[in-house]
Amino acid sequence: MKNFLPIAFLGAAALIFPTTVATIFLETPIEAQMGTVQKIFYFHVPLAWIMMLLAVVCGVAAGIQLRRDSKRAEAVSIAAAELVLVTGLGVLITGPIWGHATWGKAWTWDARQVSTGLLWLIFAAYVLVRHYGAAGSERLAAGLAIFGAIDVPIIYYAVKIWKTTHPSNDVAGSLPESMWAALWPALIALLLTSLALLLIRVRQELTDVALDEAWIALDDAALPAPGDV
Amino acid sequence: MVALRQAWLLAVNDLRQEARDLELVLTSTFFSLVVLIMLGMSFSAIGVSAQPLAIPGMLWLSVAFVGALTLGRIFTREREFDTLRAVLVAPVERVSIYLAKAFVTMVILLGCCLITVPGLTLLFPGAAPFADRPLETFALVVMGCTAYAGVGTLFAAGLASSSGKNVLLSVILYPLTMPSLLFALVATRSLLEGHESFTTYLGQLTATNILAFVVGAWLFEPVLVGVPQQRRGAARAGRRRR
Amino acid sequence: MLAPENQPNDDYEPVTGLDQETIACVRACESEAAAKTASDYEHIVWAYGVIWSLFAIYGVLLWRRATRHNVEVADLQRRLSA
Repeated sequence: MKNFLPIAFLGAAALIFPTTVATIFLETPIEAQMGTVQKIFYFHVPLAWIMMLLAVVCGVAAGIQLRRDSKRAEAVSIAAAELVLVTGLGVLITGPIWGHATWGKAWTWDARQVSTGLLWLIFAAYVLVRHYGAAGSERLAAGLAIFGAIDVPIIYYAVKIWKTTHPSNDVAGSLPESMWAALWPALIALLLTSLALLLIRVRQELTDVALDEAWIALDDAALPAPGDV
Repeated sequence: MVALRQAWLLAVNDLRQEARDLELVLTSTFFSLVVLIMLGMSFSAIGVSAQPLAIPGMLWLSVAFVGALTLGRIFTREREFDTLRAVLVAPVERVSIYLAKAFVTMVILLGCCLITVPGLTLLFPGAAPFADRPLETFALVVMGCTAYAGVGTLFAAGLASSSGKNVLLSVILYPLTMPSLLFALVATRSLLEGHESFTTYLGQLTATNILAFVVGAWLFEPVLVGVPQQRRGAARAGRRRR
Repeated sequence: MLAPENQPNDDYEPVTGLDQETIACVRACESEAAAKTASDYEHIVWAYGVIWSLFAIYGVLLWRRATRHNVEVADLQRRLSA
C-alpha cells in the first residue's frame, strides 16, 4: 500500500496536468491588464503556496525530531527541505520571468521576492548542514528548520508591512470564478507531484538509516568479543 | 528570575575573562575599523543624496561580518578548553547559558558599532542624522545587534558543541539573520531620511528581537544537549557506513 | 438589371475606416499586440518548462539514489549469506 501511494499520486498528477493546461489556455479568459503572460500565475502561485507549506512541514517535523528523537520525523524534515529548494527555485525563476514580461524588470528587490529568496537560502543552509555537518549537527539543522518555518508567516506579512511592487496578497482572493477554476487543478497537480516525491524521498532516507544500522551491526558482529585473544 | 541571575553571573564571568587580555574586543573593533575604511574607500564617490540609501547597508553589513567573526571566536574558546560541556553539566539553567552568551555577543557588537556609527558619520555627510538623533540611533543599534546576537548565539553554540566545522557557521548565520537585518535596514533608512514611520519600524525590529530570543531560548537545550533518549544513543552517533 | 434609383436612405451606411491613416494605425496596433502575444508565449513556455524540468531533475536524482541503495542492499545480502 505504502509503495503504491507515490505512484498513485504521480499518476493522478499526470492525468490532471493536461486538463489543467487545457483549462488555462483554452477556457480561462485572458487577464485585462497583463495579457497572456498572466497565465504563468496559475503555476507560479500554487508553487509558492506549496513551498511555504513544505517549509512549515519541515519545521514541524524538525520540532518532532527534536522532541521525540524520531527518525521518521527527521526523514520527513530532510525530504521537505529538499522539496522546498526545488519548489522555491521554481518560484524564484518563474516570478522574474513573469516580472520581465509584465513590468520589464525581472528582479525588483521588493520585499516579497527578497523574503522568498531568504526562505530558500535558509533551507539551502539546512540541506548543506545535513550533508556536511559533523555528528550531532542533526539537532542544529533541526533548529535551523524551525527558524525557517517561523520565517514563513513573516514572508506572508511582508507584503502587508511594506509597500511593494509585487501583486498584493489579495490577488488570489479577488479572482473571478473562471480563473479559480484553473488555479485549483494546477495546485492539485503540483501538490500531488510534490507529495509523491516527498514520500519517495522519506522512504529513501529511512532506507539510508536502516542500511547504516545494518552495516554497523555487521561490523560490530565481526569484531572479536572482549576477552578474546 | 533565577535564570536571569545565573545569566548575569555567567555573562560577567565571560566579560571578566575577556577583560584580562581583551583579545576578542580588540580584534573585533580593529576588524570593524578595517571594514569601515574599506567601505569609505569603496563608496567615497557616492553623492550626498544617494548616501542615505547606501549607509544602512554599510552599517548592517559591518555588523553582520563582525558578528560572524565574533560568534565564531566566542565559542572557539569554549571548544578549545571544553568549557561549554562543563557549563552544560553544571547546575545552571540552560537558558541562562544562552542568555549570557547572547549578552556578551551583543556587548562586543555594540562596541564595534561605537567605531562604525561615528566613523560613518565622519566619512559620509548623509549619515549626519546619526549625530542629530543620537537616542534613536542608539536604540536602533541596540535592537539590531540584539537581534543578531539572539539568532546567532544558538547556532554558534550548536556548532561548538558538536565537532562542527566553522565554515558552516557562516552558511547558517547569514541567511538566518537577514530577516532581522532587513528590518534594521528599513529602520535605519527611515531614520536617515527623517520618516515619521521610524518608530513603527523600530517596533517591528523589537518584535523580531523578542521572537528570536523566545525561539532561541526554547531551542537551546534541545539543539545543544538533546532530549534524554538522544543522550543514550550518543554512542552510536556519527557512525555511518561511508 | 439596372440599379434602382432614388432609394430611400434609411439602410445607407457610409463605409468608414478604410483611409490609409486608420489602416496604418490599426495594423501597427495589431502587430504590437501580436509581438506582445508572441513574447508572452515565449515567457510562458520558459516558465512552465523550468518548473517541470526542476521536478524531473529531482526525480532523476531520487532514481539514482534508489539505484545506489539497491546495490548496497545486494552487497549486504551477499555479506550476510557469506
